[in-house]
Amino acid sequence: MANKRTTFRITEKKRRILVVEDEIINREMLRESLESTYDILIAQSGEEALEFVHNQHETISVVLLDLYLPGIGGIEVLKKIKDDPVYAHLPVIVMTSDYEAEVECLGYGAIDFISKPYPPSKVILARILRTVELSEDRDTIHWAERDHLTGLYNKEFFYHYAMQLDLYHKGMETDALVIDVNHFHTINDRYGKAKGDKVLKHIAGSLHDIVAAEGGIVCRSEADTFMLYCPHRNDYEALLSALTFTIEDEEAGDSHVWVRMGVYAQVDKSLDIEFRFDRAKMAADTVKGNLTNPIGFYDDSMHDAEVLAEQLIADFHAAIREKQFVVYYQPKYNVLGDEPVLSSAEALVRWKHPKLGMVDPGVFIPLFEENGLIQELDHYVWSQAAAQIYDWKERLGLTIPVSVNISRVDLYDPELVDNLLKLIRVNRLDIEELILEITESAYTENSKMIIKKVEHLHRLGFRIEMDDFGSGYSSLSMLSTMPIDALKLDMQFIRNAFKDRKDTRLLEIMIRLADAFELLTIAEGVETAEQVFTLKQLGCDIIQGFYFSRPQPAEEFEKFVMAKKSIHSINWAVDARSAPRDDYSYNALHDALTGLYNYSAFDVLFRDADKDHIAILIADVDNYDIIKQRKGKEYADKLICHVANVIKENFRSVDYVCRLTENEFVVIVTRVTKANKAPVVSKVEKINKTLKMKCDDIEPVELTVGIAFSDSTKPDSDVFKDADTALKRMKEIKHSGYSVF
Amino acid sequence: MLTIETLKQFGADVDTGLARCAGNEGLYLRLVNICVQELSENELEAALGAGELEKAFEIAHRLKGGVSNLALTPIETPVCELTELLRHETPGDYDALCAQIVQKTKELAALV
Repeated sequence: MANKRTTFRITEKKRRILVVEDEIINREMLRESLESTYDILIAQSGEEALEFVHNQHETISVVLLDLYLPGIGGIEVLKKIKDDPVYAHLPVIVMTSDYEAEVECLGYGAIDFISKPYPPSKVILARILRTVELSEDRDTIHWAERDHLTGLYNKEFFYHYAMQLDLYHKGMETDALVIDVNHFHTINDRYGKAKGDKVLKHIAGSLHDIVAAEGGIVCRSEADTFMLYCPHRNDYEALLSALTFTIEDEEAGDSHVWVRMGVYAQVDKSLDIEFRFDRAKMAADTVKGNLTNPIGFYDDSMHDAEVLAEQLIADFHAAIREKQFVVYYQPKYNVLGDEPVLSSAEALVRWKHPKLGMVDPGVFIPLFEENGLIQELDHYVWSQAAAQIYDWKERLGLTIPVSVNISRVDLYDPELVDNLLKLIRVNRLDIEELILEITESAYTENSKMIIKKVEHLHRLGFRIEMDDFGSGYSSLSMLSTMPIDALKLDMQFIRNAFKDRKDTRLLEIMIRLADAFELLTIAEGVETAEQVFTLKQLGCDIIQGFYFSRPQPAEEFEKFVMAKKSIHSINWAVDARSAPRDDYSYNALHDALTGLYNYSAFDVLFRDADKDHIAILIADVDNYDIIKQRKGKEYADKLICHVANVIKENFRSVDYVCRLTENEFVVIVTRVTKANKAPVVSKVEKINKTLKMKCDDIEPVELTVGIAFSDSTKPDSDVFKDADTALKRMKEIKHSGYSVF
Repeated sequence: MLTIETLKQFGADVDTGLARCAGNEGLYLRLVNICVQELSENELEAALGAGELEKAFEIAHRLKGGVSNLALTPIETPVCELTELLRHETPGDYDALCAQIVQKTKELAALV
């Protein structure tokens, strides 16, 4: 047993040598010379030699190769060894008496030669020893400086050689590039590690070919990150496409491998080499996950941002101590009823930096989220907001629920629940007055734990709003089980829906979805009357945004609220439909006198209408100016209200009745074509018939009406213009009644 | 009986040959014996007689390897000369060189 153990070892000194020699005398001489120092393998033909190489290349230190061999000649054996990447590292010493053959063999990669007749065995031994040392050093260096998987340089040696390149090419403009594989871990997950390794090798091979052709050096710096230092180029697209390819897999299906690239072009060579690649990495991070534009370029603003980030982190604790962080409040309005009702406010943090002025939260919040400082900031905001709710209740008798942000990292804090409950207790709040906004993406990471935590908070009575809904990847099936009260649509979502070509289909689906799960929808970032109007039409419950108010410091927010006297419900807008109207003049879309849609509303409604299926009616009250002059404005107003009511009564709820000018009404009749002419005309006849009868103290009047139907066969036709033409025609002949274009 | 001394008398550069055998006299003498056998097979003479120059070159080249390494100078000299002539089939007195090799081989064989 003991014996066996001692034989199972690697002898340090006794390297193995393959002697390829067919001539017995030479062979025996070599055996005698080498045997005491080396372990000898003898091959008497080229074929035998290759077999040894194939089976034992991992343990052979040197090959001594005779050139004149029966069968496959020595040169052929040498070529076969050197052409195969697996064997190429084997040092081959050629034995020949022919100088020409020597030169040829050195060209094929022989490391040395031994002349024939042989030099004394001591000389042979010395030369073999030197060869073994050299090649082992070379291997050691090779594997020390290279990544074992891809054979590319590793980061440390890459930096070293990059600096060498700079020394040799001082005047050359150079680029630092960082290349990352998008979603590499999913490739590993889907196809297995072996395939993942193949992907990395493939990219490494492509990069190797690129630098072989165009100059530069390349390394694999981390798992799926490569760095390239190369002469400056203008076109990076070609490089990118050379690195993009498809994995073919019959079982798991084909998949495209996408890389992203960060470019720091024309590097500043006075910067440390590591910094140059930090910049390229920064540029690569800006296009993370961006498949349409996967090349990011470094510019100085990124450097400035980096410097700023460092300063902000350094100043953070002083800022908390000195209360430089100020909580602003932005109202959220429930728009379910005819008039908007203030339902709550969101607490938003601002930083009044003593040197930098107001710092954009878009800058410091992601930064603090990244390094965990956000937790401390959140606690600060929560306690400020809770104290503020209490203050408004106590001092003004107003209950305004306030929502605060709960960051992902807060959800991992075992003391979260206790901390929040303590705030409720200390400030004597009702639990639903502190609303918690939790971003959608928080649910996707470790979702079971997160959902459990949020469920706990929800059970305790906290209202939960899912923030940034639509920006992340939450599973729709999760919605039904998630402990939330409201979906807060991502601001970008609203913006996209109202961009150039308005497309609110997705918004509509989201709102319906929320509705199906009995969740409220909150739209934030709402800026225009058009947006408010459309969101309301789509059934959105709550709206927050500049349209109503910017976020304001507590004092200003307080003034704003007092001025509007619009606090009605602490029931968090659940009963908004029955909430009393307030006098807030949100109604930029309605005519104050009649309550009909006004010109702005018409503009929006007409633009969005299905132009192939509408009719437009334009109606004027006959002799309105004379009546107004004779009977006064008060009577005229009454008359207009009467007319408005009569028109409205006669049209369906899907039609829009608008008052465009003092005396001009427009009806957008939806979902009709010319085939529906008869019922539309009969409505007009009915309206005139009603108006021609005396009603209370309103004298009979009549309308002149121009009617036009959309015509899908004439895409360029303007149905409004046509209706107007029809109206003018009637007026020209001084005739009451209607005309159809 | 072949000895280092008789080989020296034959004209072999015994010191050089021994140096290639790491000084192992037994091995050296054994290898000389093998070499004498190879030489005595006289394949070279037959190939030349048949006019097969290519084959003759291969034989000469192989013999040269052993003879040179053993430093059997009296045979090494004509073998090398003949090998070089045959390598490019340079015209020359192949038969005379061959006869010289045969003669010296006989002398060496007589020592064994």
